[in-house]
Amino acid sequence: MIEAHGLVKVYGKKPAVQGISFTVQPGKVTGFLGPNGAGKSTTMRMIMGLDRPTSGDVKVNGKHYAAHKAPLREVGALLDAKAVHSSRSAYNHLRAMAATHGIPTKRVQEVIDLTGLGAVAKKRVGGFSLGMGQRLGIAAALLGDPQTIILDEPVNGLDPEGVLWVRNLVRSLAAEGRTVFLSSHLMSEMAQTADHLLVIGRGKIIADASMQDFLNGQNLVRSRVRTDNPEALIRALAAHGVSVDTRDAALLEITGVDPRDIARAALEQQVLVYELTPLQASLEEVYMDLTKDEVEYHSQNIDTQPALLEQSGQPALPAELAPAGTTGREGK
Amino acid sequence: MSTATMNKPAHATGSGVNFARSLHSEWIKFTTLRSTWILLATTIVVMIGIGLLGAWGMGSGMESIRESGQDPAAMGMDESMLYMMATGGIDFGQLIIGALGVLLIASEYSTGMIRSTMTAVPGRLSPLAAKAVVVAAVAAVVGIVSSFATYFLSQPILASYGLDYGLDVENFVQSLLLSGVYLALVALMGLAVGSLLRNSAGGIVTLVALLLVLPIVASILQFDWIQDGVVPYLPSNAGRQMLALEIADGDLTQLQGGLVMAAWTAVLLAAAAVTTKSRDV
Repeated sequence: MIEAHGLVKVYGKKPAVQGISFTVQPGKVTGFLGPNGAGKSTTMRMIMGLDRPTSGDVKVNGKHYAAHKAPLREVGALLDAKAVHSSRSAYNHLRAMAATHGIPTKRVQEVIDLTGLGAVAKKRVGGFSLGMGQRLGIAAALLGDPQTIILDEPVNGLDPEGVLWVRNLVRSLAAEGRTVFLSSHLMSEMAQTADHLLVIGRGKIIADASMQDFLNGQNLVRSRVRTDNPEALIRALAAHGVSVDTRDAALLEITGVDPRDIARAALEQQVLVYELTPLQASLEEVYMDLTKDEVEYHSQNIDTQPALLEQSGQPALPAELAPAGTTGREGK
Repeated sequence: MSTATMNKPAHATGSGVNFARSLHSEWIKFTTLRSTWILLATTIVVMIGIGLLGAWGMGSGMESIRESGQDPAAMGMDESMLYMMATGGIDFGQLIIGALGVLLIASEYSTGMIRSTMTAVPGRLSPLAAKAVVVAAVAAVVGIVSSFATYFLSQPILASYGLDYGLDVENFVQSLLLSGVYLALVALMGLAVGSLLRNSAGGIVTLVALLLVLPIVASILQFDWIQDGVVPYLPSNAGRQMLALEIADGDLTQLQGGLVMAAWTAVLLAAAAVTTKSRDV
């Protein structure tokens, strides 16, 4: 369990984290999302006692991290960058970490086998690929068999097998009743891994909800509708404050209103509807919608020709940016 | 791959961090870097090599003076200078050992290792103290071993000039032993500077400035208050008094010199401890 209360971190004059409070529950995988520079890594460093909060406090398993007698047996962490001396071998690194807690060498061998490092364990870490470095970081985090596991971008640089392995690992750790706190920028991966989401933007928590509530609750309820008379249906729904994408003459994607309301509007207006399919918004769409105003480091949109965009098979742009046809948008 | 090996949510089992374990961890870290062994071996080779070269040079020099019918002592070459050659390599040795002290901590900051160190032992001062014990002990052993080895290896060379001497020269054994203390203090100063600056190159340059450049600059400034009030109290000048076989009037004694150097070291280490505790990692 991780409990943060009014956590603030200011570097010089630049606020990195602005008074956040949250609880990360045991028995679940909690995903930590946010744009670059939003304060994710700073928050994790404060949890681990590496950065001192400017104000507020954060406890892990009921105590400040540094107050634990055997911190590696309570909390295991993989923080953003490699935290290993590049001239030492993976085996010796883990052995030195283990020695601080009297963890036997047998356990060092166990985490090496578990993370698939066996072949390179005696080699200098400086020669490791990004993925091997991540595996070593995960091995170090698991060394003390901790109750709480904090992983910052664990799948960064891992091969597909490694990504799948991390997903299964964190899910099984959570299933054992442990607290798992995980950050990632890979939305599809997060969607498959996390039970609960914590979204941070510009140093503030902007969402703290279960995955299901998060996907449902962001006014991104979307339905695919086929109808003979799209204009009449759009007019009828206009009062609900919806956005409508016209895909072709008879096919609409309606966002922001419950399917039941669409059916009722169609019934009242005597519009024939011959498909009404609720669409699950993807985590990526919801996330992009939620954080569009919070992104600190905006990338410039390349002015791509629409034809080119379709050809290259780009994934759909976030709902808000998608080229809209007939739009009956209001509100919001 | 499976997680079968970790299916018990084990809580602290009374097997936490203590200083002995922290020390063990630092010892593993110290001995598992190739650079450690290279620097230690270089220190020993350089110290012995310079000592032997010095003994050989002094021996042959004194012999040629004697052959020309003059008294070497009258030309400022008496036997006490010969004795000092046993610890003559320490001026160079201290730079390498000092660099080792700097690197021990600064390389952890530059590689990110420090985050692993400080999460494993979040007390922060404990890893610094453990590093201090390790590097001071090793430096002391290196200094003592090098000095005694220089003495024993130089005797056959000196014997060929009839200049060999015994360990019973006054204060001589003490001086060989204190060369270890001198190097230990230099290593600790390096550790402190490395910890303060968190940067290998900057730390080494700063340490060299403190040990080598500062005394030279100060000795050039011909003001009485600098010559009497500053120069003798600079860390390397004061520390070198520990190795002296005889103390001239008005100079610091071996003990006084050692204490002055220890005071410098203590101040630097205290500053390092305060910043380690207060700064973010």
